[in-house]
Amino acid sequence: MATLELQGIRKSFGALEVLSSVDLELEDGGFLVLLGPSGCGKSTLLSIIAGLEEASAGDILVGGRRVNEVFPKDRNIAMVFQSYALYPTMDVARNIGFGLEMRKVPGPERVEKVRAAADLLQIGHLLDRKPAQLSGGQRQRVAMGRAIVRDPDLFLFDEPLSNLDAKLRVQMRTEIKRLHDRLGTTVVYVTHDQVEAMTLGTKVAVMKEGVIQQLADPQTIYDRPANMFVAGFIGSPAMNFLDGTVETEGGPALVLTGDGQRVALDRAPAGQGARVIAGIRPEHFTLGEGSPVRLTGRIEVLEPTGPDTMVVLSVAGREITARLPPRIGLAPGAMIDLGVDRSAITFFNPETGTAL
Amino acid sequence: MIGELSETRYWMYLLLLPSLLLITAVVLYPTIYGIQMSFREMRLNRPDLGTGFVGLKHYQRMLNDPIFWLSLRNTAVWVTFAIILEFLIGLIAALALHRNLPGSRIFAVMILLPFFLPNVVAGHMWSLMLDPRLGVINDLLLKAGLIDSYRAWFADPATAMAAAILVEAWKSFPFFTLLILAGLKGIPTDLYKAASIDGAGPVAQLRLITLPMIKTIIAAAVILRVIGLVNSPDLLLVLTSGGPGRSTMVLSLFAFQTAYRDFNFGYASALSVVMFILLMIFAWIYIRLSRINQE
Repeated sequence: MATLELQGIRKSFGALEVLSSVDLELEDGGFLVLLGPSGCGKSTLLSIIAGLEEASAGDILVGGRRVNEVFPKDRNIAMVFQSYALYPTMDVARNIGFGLEMRKVPGPERVEKVRAAADLLQIGHLLDRKPAQLSGGQRQRVAMGRAIVRDPDLFLFDEPLSNLDAKLRVQMRTEIKRLHDRLGTTVVYVTHDQVEAMTLGTKVAVMKEGVIQQLADPQTIYDRPANMFVAGFIGSPAMNFLDGTVETEGGPALVLTGDGQRVALDRAPAGQGARVIAGIRPEHFTLGEGSPVRLTGRIEVLEPTGPDTMVVLSVAGREITARLPPRIGLAPGAMIDLGVDRSAITFFNPETGTAL
Repeated sequence: MIGELSETRYWMYLLLLPSLLLITAVVLYPTIYGIQMSFREMRLNRPDLGTGFVGLKHYQRMLNDPIFWLSLRNTAVWVTFAIILEFLIGLIAALALHRNLPGSRIFAVMILLPFFLPNVVAGHMWSLMLDPRLGVINDLLLKAGLIDSYRAWFADPATAMAAAILVEAWKSFPFFTLLILAGLKGIPTDLYKAASIDGAGPVAQLRLITLPMIKTIIAAAVILRVIGLVNSPDLLLVLTSGGPGRSTMVLSLFAFQTAYRDFNFGYASALSVVMFILLMIFAWIYIRLSRINQE
């Protein structure tokens, strides 16, 4: 177990800069999720931590030790790949024990450790099979077994669940969380799936174009996104954005740009006449009269999901989605008046996209 | 009528008929003709003997023919050493080209050049380069101090076979390079990443990942190359004609000369049939041993 620290990590391939000055710290036993769309540099960052890629600049510290020039095998890390990267010609037992074999761990000890790791992952009965004879979920477990058997300082996961079907993905997600709780090893986990990030991470780094947009615990990221990119990336359905102008005379309010609709606020996010973007999550809309902040829009589409109904509305020329209770008896085309939980509105600067 | 026929189970045989006819015409008929010829007398310079059935006469002669046994031994030496050299050089070249270093595209083309040359051209080129009086190789070796006088590489029974094997290896290693390179491209790079994290060095990675992953390709390449080496007399024909003495006489060359110098097609056919059987046995044992059909 160890802490992880990245200081000013840069990486460029020729003229293309894929990581620009990444700084982060992860406490011992922490679970850091690197989250972002494809091409944001998260996998490159993971490869740099693993030592499979060299950073163009910056320092990598594992347990306080600078490991920039240390070979991957000497960093005492273990990695689970998206493709699992199981050795096709070796059986499961040898796959799991390969790292120990290469480290000249004596046979009986190796067998014992492999057995223990396999039992922990419930793949003890598969030890003499070849990877080709395993299902996707079983391969995934073998890949994890290969990682935990070495008792590393740091686990690196590179989109480990992407190749599994939806049901298995949820199951393995829980299992990874349980494993982390049990082993307490520091983890860095790369994914583009925000649900994985929210459920697994003790810390989430949202990345875009080689820059960490926000580094915080999952709830903070969800409740107080640092900018519009983070706000839009986290949450499903995504956060709604409405353009407007701030009014301070006659009580703070937001005048929507499209239809001039005046939305009363409890306090002004900026000075009189300032243009802002209001971000409202779908679940922060309410039906009924309770809320003083109200929005009017026309219903475009109703999407019942069972526990909720997603109502797609047209408000001030923008399409927004509200998560409302099921069986509310609405019909497309009708005008609807929705309340908004005003403490949950996040305002952004329209030029920079950063939260106000 | 055709519409009805296409609904019956005979339809598939009808569809197979054209290719069956083609295979019969170009593969089956010549093979069977060759085999039956090995049981007949057929000497073009002795028409008086006719072309009658002579049973196992040619095969009996073969058993007592010292040239046959010498050719068989030479064939084994020729094939074994040529294959080992071609495989090793081919593997090294493929591993080097697979690294995608700057210039590897140009090298990839250049390395294939020997393989594009016809055997006869390559043979004559090397005869000239290894020539005892004019050869550039002698000159280079002399200047490097490796030999003290010009040597006649193909005229000395001690060096003729080795020199011919080197030329053959030069000519055909690109075949292995090409196939192994294709195999290497099919190995996921994640395996090497995982292996380097697991602590496997370059040698362990080659031994435990690369070679097992391209085993099938290597096996196929070896079989194809062995067949080529056993069956093609052209390079040796140009370089040594089996000499000096019979130190480089191999089965294919012996059969070729029996047919086209001695015009004894019956005996030449018998020699070819033996080569055919030996190759079949080799391929069968080899596939068994390499277990390539078990995965």
